[in-house]
Amino acid sequence: MLELKNIRKYYNPGTLNEMCLFEDFNLTADKGDFISVVGSNGSGKTSMLNILCGSISVEKGQILMDGEDISGMKEYKRNRRIGRVYQNPAMGTCPSMTILENMSLADNKGGTYGLGKGVNKARKAHYQKLLGSLNLGLENKMDVKVGSLSGGQRQAMALLMSTLTPIDYLILDEHTAALDPKTAELIMELTDRIVKEKNLTTIMVTHNLRYAVEYGSRLLMMHQGQIVLDIAGEEKQKMKVDDILGKFNEISIECGN
Amino acid sequence: MKKKVLAVVLAAVMAMGLAACGSREDAKESKTGDEKTYTVGISQFAEHGSLDNCREGFIEGLKESGFEEGKNLKVEVKNAAADQGTAKQISDAFVSDKADLICGIATPSAQAAYNSAMNTDIPVIFTAVTDPKAAKLANEDGTPAGEVTGTSDELPIKKQLEMIHKVLPDAKKVGILYTTSEVNSVSAIKTYEKLAGDYGITIVTKGVSQTADISLAADEILSEVDCLTNLTDNTVVNSLATILDKANEKKIPVFASEVEQVKLGCVAAEGIDYIALGKQTGKMAAEVLKGEKKASEMKYETISEPGLYVNTKAAKDLGITLDEEFVKSAVESFDSISK
Amino acid sequence: MAIFVTTLEQGLIYGILALGVYITYKILDFPDLTVDGSFPLGAAITATMIANGVNPYLTIPASFLAGAAAGVCTGLIHVKCKVRDLLSGIIMMTALWTINLRLAGTANVPIFGDESIFDNSWMNKVFGGGLASYKVLVVVLVIAVISKVLLDLYLKTKSGLLLRAVGDNANLVTSLAKDQGNVKILGLSIANGLVALAGSIFCQEQRVFEISSGTGAIVIGLASVIIGTSLFKNVRLVNTTTAVLIGSVIYKACVAAALKFFEPQDMKLITAVLFLIILIIGMDRKKKVKKNA
Repeated sequence: MLELKNIRKYYNPGTLNEMCLFEDFNLTADKGDFISVVGSNGSGKTSMLNILCGSISVEKGQILMDGEDISGMKEYKRNRRIGRVYQNPAMGTCPSMTILENMSLADNKGGTYGLGKGVNKARKAHYQKLLGSLNLGLENKMDVKVGSLSGGQRQAMALLMSTLTPIDYLILDEHTAALDPKTAELIMELTDRIVKEKNLTTIMVTHNLRYAVEYGSRLLMMHQGQIVLDIAGEEKQKMKVDDILGKFNEISIECGN
Repeated sequence: MKKKVLAVVLAAVMAMGLAACGSREDAKESKTGDEKTYTVGISQFAEHGSLDNCREGFIEGLKESGFEEGKNLKVEVKNAAADQGTAKQISDAFVSDKADLICGIATPSAQAAYNSAMNTDIPVIFTAVTDPKAAKLANEDGTPAGEVTGTSDELPIKKQLEMIHKVLPDAKKVGILYTTSEVNSVSAIKTYEKLAGDYGITIVTKGVSQTADISLAADEILSEVDCLTNLTDNTVVNSLATILDKANEKKIPVFASEVEQVKLGCVAAEGIDYIALGKQTGKMAAEVLKGEKKASEMKYETISEPGLYVNTKAAKDLGITLDEEFVKSAVESFDSISK
Repeated sequence: MAIFVTTLEQGLIYGILALGVYITYKILDFPDLTVDGSFPLGAAITATMIANGVNPYLTIPASFLAGAAAGVCTGLIHVKCKVRDLLSGIIMMTALWTINLRLAGTANVPIFGDESIFDNSWMNKVFGGGLASYKVLVVVLVIAVISKVLLDLYLKTKSGLLLRAVGDNANLVTSLAKDQGNVKILGLSIANGLVALAGSIFCQEQRVFEISSGTGAIVIGLASVIIGTSLFKNVRLVNTTTAVLIGSVIYKACVAAALKFFEPQDMKLITAVLFLIILIIGMDRKKKVKKNA
């Protein structure tokens, strides 16, 4: 369970450019939730993820992980139980290292990274099986540097890598936004499969309303640092893209856009 | 492709430019008679006025003793551009070319030459090494540490203090600027401090670590002293113009350690003429080449005749009246300040 | 012949330094100027130990550790005090100037008469007669190869992979639940350890510690790394660390050639031109690879 309680976040506090993003933000993600988050630019979606993961600090409020206050915990420590995939495929892999090395690196997450062999040959077949399931032909390119792969291939690897070791939470930050429609589709299907297989509590920020409707068990719409729509269960099932689009326009008109 | 062409063109242009301005004089071996031609390798540590003078003097000294370039002498001059590793490469090359003698100018080059020639029978002659004992080129008793000897450019500090006392009898505080990383300066200051008491003088020192610090250090030291005296400290000497500007503004006289500094506007120096020092070294080298003495049998020498240099213009500008006798006793006196 | 031996000797000694620079510059993507201070640091410790009669072989681990400590300091300044990478190195380099001067006592400490890793009764027994002139080269070669192999092995460990990852994509290291700051500090310490080790060997080859020996060390290191990696980029048989060692020998060979054929004053210009040419050729290759892909 992930909780954000009474979060207050200002950007550039104390300066002329001071901007309030969250005044009193609350969110609870229950175990097993797959939450899709939509919202206009600047509505605070990515900031919310950054606050959860510890990439940015808050002025006030608590962040709880399974009831434990992790507000003061460093980002890298939180990542022990969190996997994160970014919009930019380059963020989740090491371009100058081979596929095998990247997979091995990810496979050691949670370990001490000592002087043991970096690449465990015995695990190679396992990595190849996982990569094979992507149908991208990566299993035959184990010694190819990741930097020479396409964005879609890299994003697929980033997703695999971030979920290779047992984690509890998956944070997806517009992870299909930089991909072509076909690859995006493939990555989305893969995401859904992994989330279900590993029973991960997932928060996915997306601009693709169709994905938000089709995938996930709960849907949030954010606007100006507030949750303006939060539906789950049957209500979510019934939701259509047009419904959300309507809601979206409603907000925008309020804003005077 | 374009870039590759550019690279080649660039290389060609640079190479041509270098060849043009390089105009290297290959020491030619003459074939007059059956007389043996001696090869002497000169390894100079850096491009520097005093060191250049040393080199010129050295070659002249050899000539005066009968070793003339183009006749019976081949001189190869290499400069390490102040890099210790390069100094070693230079002296190693001399050793592999089987030079008859290696001359190391300035401490690092002298040490490198000694190191390279250690297991050979090639003698090493050094010059412009202030403290050959500390540099381990000589034993504590002044005898050579091996086939190595030469001349030290140790300052005639006692004479300098005497001279300062004569010119400025009321001077109580004498300032010295130095670089903390120059061994020569540190050891000279020790001597100054030891001897200064005899003349009722206290030494005030300010250490800098780089050229950029000189300006500030000069301002500071000038506010405390009656006059300044220079060492042969490279960093300080290179910034002498700055120091003189500031000192003249405050009407504080600056004493020098060698003739070049006096030309630039220091009042006077009881100092070393590096050309003379080089000549003296050249003569020592000649003795070794002739086989009259082995380097290991010769103690290193200091300048045999330190000379007084005076700049009457600089003194006049500062309102100092110099005793006529005093000016007459100078080896050379200047009545202008060269810029 | 002797000139080749010297070039190889010095090339390999600076090659060890270049291995350190390779870690910071290529792997960590950290322009580390500490090198100008940690190189003479190794030399200062070595000269002091040898002058005090310590077994010369102990200078090797001692200088490596001292360099590593200097690297840790640079890392702490950068990571904990959040000072920019270039500035952290400059701060540490500046501090080391004094530390080196204090350690050695003076700016120039000759160790002509003392035993060194090259010159002791055991070595002289092994390398008797005609082999004596290759003594230094053999020892330097052995140390350089050992350093290279150990570094290669290390870079294949889990810790080594993480080190490569932090320069490549620091964000990934955080994702892997590791503190990227600590990884950087580790990398800096290994790098400066190697640099100080090179300084120790350099001091024993030169038989003198000279405070100014570090000036420009980073330039030599960078030049070696860039020459080596650009020239051997597409040569499969030569791995990067070997390329770096060869790069350093090439650099020293250029200095030797410049000494032989040009005026010494022109040396730096020649080096700069050579540098530029190698870089341009290296860039060409990169483009071609992209076109083919």
